[in-house]
Amino acid sequence: MIFKICRKEELPKLFDSLSANHIVGPVRKGTDKEGKPIIAFDIANDFNELELAYPSTKFSPKKFFLPYRETLSSFDMEESDWQEHIDFNIYKPHVFFGMHACDINALNKLDKVLLESVYPSPYYGSKRSNMCIIGMDCEPQPFCFCRSMGTDTALHGFDMFLTALGERYFVEILSATAFNWLKNLNTRDPTEDDHIEYMAAVAKRNEKFTARVDTTDLTKILDMEFQADVWKKWGEKCLSCGACANVCPTCYCYGVEEHVDLDLQGASKIKHLHSCNLIDFAEVAGGHNFRPQSHVRLKYRYYHKHRGFVEAFEESLCVGCGRCGEACLADINVPEVIASVRGEGG
Amino acid sequence: MEDLRFVDVFGETGKGRRKHDYGSFVYRYEAEITNVYSLTDKEKLYQIQISDQEKRKRFTFRPGQFVMLELPGIGEAPFSIASSPSRHGDIELCIRAVGTLTNYLSRVQRGAKVGIKGPFGTSFPVDEMFGQNVLLLAGGLGIAPLRSPTMSVLENRSRFQEVDIMYGAKRPSELLFTYLYDMWRKFDINLNITVEESDNQWDGPVGLITELLEARISKADSSFADHTYAIVCGPPVMFKFVCKMLIEADIPMQKIFVSLERRMHCGRGKCCRCNIGSTYTCLKGPVFDYWSVMNLKEAI
Amino acid sequence: MSEDLVYLGVPLKRPKVAFFELTSCEGCQLQIVNNEATLLDFLSLVEVVNFREAMSERSDDYDIAFVEGSVTRADEVKRLQTIRKNAKMVIALGSCACFGGVNQLRNRFQDQAWVKREVYGDFPIDTEDEVRPLSAVVDIDLEIYGCPIRKEEVEKIVTNLILGKAIDHPKYPVCMECKANENICLFDLGEPCLGPVTRGGCDAWCPNSRMGCWGCRGPAEVANVAQIRKIMRQYGFSEEILLDRLECFGGFTAHIKEFRHC
Repeated sequence: MIFKICRKEELPKLFDSLSANHIVGPVRKGTDKEGKPIIAFDIANDFNELELAYPSTKFSPKKFFLPYRETLSSFDMEESDWQEHIDFNIYKPHVFFGMHACDINALNKLDKVLLESVYPSPYYGSKRSNMCIIGMDCEPQPFCFCRSMGTDTALHGFDMFLTALGERYFVEILSATAFNWLKNLNTRDPTEDDHIEYMAAVAKRNEKFTARVDTTDLTKILDMEFQADVWKKWGEKCLSCGACANVCPTCYCYGVEEHVDLDLQGASKIKHLHSCNLIDFAEVAGGHNFRPQSHVRLKYRYYHKHRGFVEAFEESLCVGCGRCGEACLADINVPEVIASVRGEGG
Repeated sequence: MEDLRFVDVFGETGKGRRKHDYGSFVYRYEAEITNVYSLTDKEKLYQIQISDQEKRKRFTFRPGQFVMLELPGIGEAPFSIASSPSRHGDIELCIRAVGTLTNYLSRVQRGAKVGIKGPFGTSFPVDEMFGQNVLLLAGGLGIAPLRSPTMSVLENRSRFQEVDIMYGAKRPSELLFTYLYDMWRKFDINLNITVEESDNQWDGPVGLITELLEARISKADSSFADHTYAIVCGPPVMFKFVCKMLIEADIPMQKIFVSLERRMHCGRGKCCRCNIGSTYTCLKGPVFDYWSVMNLKEAI
Repeated sequence: MSEDLVYLGVPLKRPKVAFFELTSCEGCQLQIVNNEATLLDFLSLVEVVNFREAMSERSDDYDIAFVEGSVTRADEVKRLQTIRKNAKMVIALGSCACFGGVNQLRNRFQDQAWVKREVYGDFPIDTEDEVRPLSAVVDIDLEIYGCPIRKEEVEKIVTNLILGKAIDHPKYPVCMECKANENICLFDLGEPCLGPVTRGGCDAWCPNSRMGCWGCRGPAEVANVAQIRKIMRQYGFSEEILLDRLECFGGFTAHIKEFRHC
């Protein structure tokens, strides 16, 4: 890895030099009832739109690589014959400005199942291939438990990563693409003092984590507690609304809607991101539902994230961003659910 | 201005940079329904031919694997291939009209174009069974996924010891592939069929498939269990009892194979519909040995 | 005009459809004629034989009857029964037809005579004591929810009926689509919302415009009303505010009874 130091005012120059592409970053969407800004990932047209010191976003950036709705293919119908047209729905490279470690790690995890598996998805793959990531350090929020999930730092999956040290950035460069960007910036090599300051900043950040999840032997515990009553307690609260899955940076489950045009001359296949918490999700042809109860569906969401994925890929599918707990109106959150399954706390 | 190079994962600019084989995800064969046979009131056998002659020849699959059949705008669903692997891209699918896709399919005329993706999934390890006894057990529509391994076994009949087919249906009118039974019997196999409710034309046994199996096991010699494989296809309630009986007869769990297919949705390990934990039925299955099934929660 | 439709080589019947209204604002029917862009395609898919809002011809020979509105008068009971007799399929169109709609708010008053006096004064009309959804009077084959209905949804349903596809209404709540639109949660903005318990399928029409959901599509398949009650309280909204919304369109009548007991 190559390290550099640059002054903060260099960053607008980098933004401008990349502005021929779509630049996606944290932009302000509104103000909540307490007067706090609401930040979301969206296309930014100007560097000043970016709120790079954002605490967290309500939604993950996934609409840019796993859209909530996506047309997978369309068909032209001709009598009993037809032609299929496939579009991967990406036409321009996207540069992500200011992604936090949790969201970068989420992409790394999604890659495992959507790219490095038996049937890699070209819809996801083509968006991933056209993505550059400039990561940014963050301030742990009360709901962040990424440190427990080992996703509080990003070791790969970005082009450039910035850590603020006062008026300058400590810059990690991981790709040739990002290295080429340096020609547009004034940078210098870091000194020993910069290294010390960087490590102090990291240590200071580590102290700020308050939420925790104990993942010791979690796969086994989840298996042992499969029939535990504690799931029912959470099931009673669960609204089965899918908010958790929609804000999650790694939830990728989907359903496909088959659509026929009103004139019967065309058809399309539309993918909708789904949630395993929805009662619609476990239904199969003929109407049988495998998981009619809320608590069973909720349990399976935890199973997939914290047991099944670990079994398959040696790591959890959860990055500890805490967005699901923040989005849940019924206050169901990962640290409390896992603690209760482990028999800890109320 | 730095305009990053757009990477077209399929197109010219992507050449040499393509890390993943995306084709398998979207590749679809154009195929034609060449014949349709009504087997019962609800089930039909569809003969489907991959249109391109070269692709048809190159199309290979193993018994127990499935394809995704698609009618644009209507739906796409997994179906076990019911024909012999030796027939390549001239496949047969036995389909019951239960949902939107299968009902529409039953109205489609001969000659209609359908999409076929696959083959997908795991298969029955027929080669592993050479030199052994084989029990082929089907309940109801389970005879459809069982037909492909049955054909494989019959085509290589001399390589197996004793072969038994046991098939149970609700009523005689619901029996599938009745026209094949005489042909099957010519291969020196024991074919036993039972129905739960008899009618005035039925002169075979009346009862459950477990009774056929019990009779078979009771007359088996002491070395039978050590040299026997079983393939079980049918509704969960059927294979639960059948597998229990096979295990009690000392047939090792890893020699008992079942096909779990009805949960599958995308067929490519992406949509999570068929997930049990993180086991995708469509990737790790549909064929599982009984040991794996036991470790899948809520599988049965 | 009645040439046959074909899809994937399968000939399909072009159904004769009729539109009727009982007590309603006719807004749902207006939605149907409203979208000129797709109106012609819609009209080539079905043969409209009765549609007071759009044409003057009338016929009692129809396959599908779309009925908007709730039943509030004795003559409407008779009319609905005749429609049921004529049609192969009766579709309740919109919240009034499905649940009683805004009209059923009248059922809250114990003294119906007082209501009539207040509303109609010296020009009383002959109304029944209770406002009822269509299903309380005749058998209904399908319900299309919403106040008003969404034209896209009606078009999709009609296309699917013609193709013989199963009509699957979303069973999940409005939140699912609201989140997919990346709306800011209305509770975060200090607004009450029934999105977590109301049936989706509207693409979060109201929350998209920062209006809290009023439950016009009735309860989601899993409507955790006990939990929304806690949530409302937690966010500082009174039981009155919650009840106003739950009672507005009549979809939650059973749930309200349930929680009035606790």
